[in-house]
Amino acid sequence: MERQNILNFMTNNKELLLVHTSMYNVRLEHPINIMLTPQFYTVKKEAIPVKYAYQAKKIAPSLFDGLLEEDGKYDYIVFKEKVEDEESWVFIAYNIEKIIRFLESKGIDTNKVSKVFFIQQAITQFGKASLSLGDTEVLSVIDNTVVVIPRIVFGEDNIPSLRFTNEFTPKDSGISIKSSTASQSTLMTQTQAFTLITIFMLFAGMFIVEGSRYSSDTEEEKVEIESIYQTYPYLQSTYTRQDAIDTYKNIDRDERRKRDVIKTVSSMIFKGVTLTSLKIDEKKIISEFLCSDTMVSTRIKELVKKLENKLLTAKGDTKIIVEGTL
Amino acid sequence: MNLKRYMNEILVILSLLFMFAAYFYKHHQVSQQTIQNMETKQMLSQLKEVISLKKIWKNKKVTKKIKELKNIVSSSKLHWSQKQNKITATYTKLSSSELNKLTTKILNTPVIIRLLDIKKIGETYTVEFKCKW
Repeated sequence: MERQNILNFMTNNKELLLVHTSMYNVRLEHPINIMLTPQFYTVKKEAIPVKYAYQAKKIAPSLFDGLLEEDGKYDYIVFKEKVEDEESWVFIAYNIEKIIRFLESKGIDTNKVSKVFFIQQAITQFGKASLSLGDTEVLSVIDNTVVVIPRIVFGEDNIPSLRFTNEFTPKDSGISIKSSTASQSTLMTQTQAFTLITIFMLFAGMFIVEGSRYSSDTEEEKVEIESIYQTYPYLQSTYTRQDAIDTYKNIDRDERRKRDVIKTVSSMIFKGVTLTSLKIDEKKIISEFLCSDTMVSTRIKELVKKLENKLLTAKGDTKIIVEGTL
Repeated sequence: MNLKRYMNEILVILSLLFMFAAYFYKHHQVSQQTIQNMETKQMLSQLKEVISLKKIWKNKKVTKKIKELKNIVSSSKLHWSQKQNKITATYTKLSSSELNKLTTKILNTPVIIRLLDIKKIGETYTVEFKCKW
């Protein structure tokens, strides 16, 4: 209730401009509210048994069936009116595009239009009086509906006595051109857009939160690395670390190879074979065997051929030389 | 074209783009983190490798094992020369079993073999061995 009052207070503060077809061009300096005459809307009253305006609004399009131009796109505003203890729903159908086009034709910047009201909402201001609309027309109330009638019908003696002031600003809320134009968009309604935006933003939020919270799962490793750095500070340097890796890997590879080769050569010493010499340095190996006969030497040669590493070659008859480069 | 008329669509497209941007942000974060994790694990494995290799090939206890090479045969069969971390040893008149024992010991000692020269002279073996650590 308090919020409603604040809103009313805010809207009432703004200047109210009566918009009718015979009005002059207007240049706005500051935001205003506007009030539309029946020239811009179609009104219908019905006493239907619904409690809330949103329920009444749902059936509004069917009420105007056949009354409105088929090519236009209409929106509706519904409010309750009480006349002589009888309550009825007032349905107003309006084409916001047409209204905007007219306002723009009169030089009115629609960005400066805060709220749009309909003169029917200000029916209580009329009483039995009427309001002049230029030289040829008059706004008057007939059967509790504000209508535009030619001045000539009134006669010369019946002069319109009402003056249009900010007091005509209704207590009911008006419509906003921004939200109305938004609802007029071609592909989707405001509700659909809102739903989609909500879904997209929800997903976006999830992705952002997920992305920002995606932390490292290598905390244990990091702690271990830190502890290694404390014990071996020189390994913190990438170059030193790489150098150490290269050095020790080379040593490890070369020494394992030397030992493997020596073991291989040792495995060739069996019955009928005598090792006469073996020399291994950092680059090559050369070993000499004395075999009891050619069968034994052939067996050694076959053993050398079967070696996977192919490092060694064997030559000779009973005196076999097995050599290779490391 | 009246942009206000398409405000709903524009807002939906903007929110969709924002969602895509958020998705790519998440994707970027995930892949970045995966790379970082891989790098961390790789570095740890490198460090462990270098440390274990160092423990093998730069072990301070190797000096003790080197002494075993000196004591493996009687001093009459051995000429021993050690300069800091390098040794030159000449073993003479070794029997087959002594040769086997010595060779096995050398192979199991974590030193860099610079030279291992085994020669059979008569029924015995002469071994020249040079290494460093």
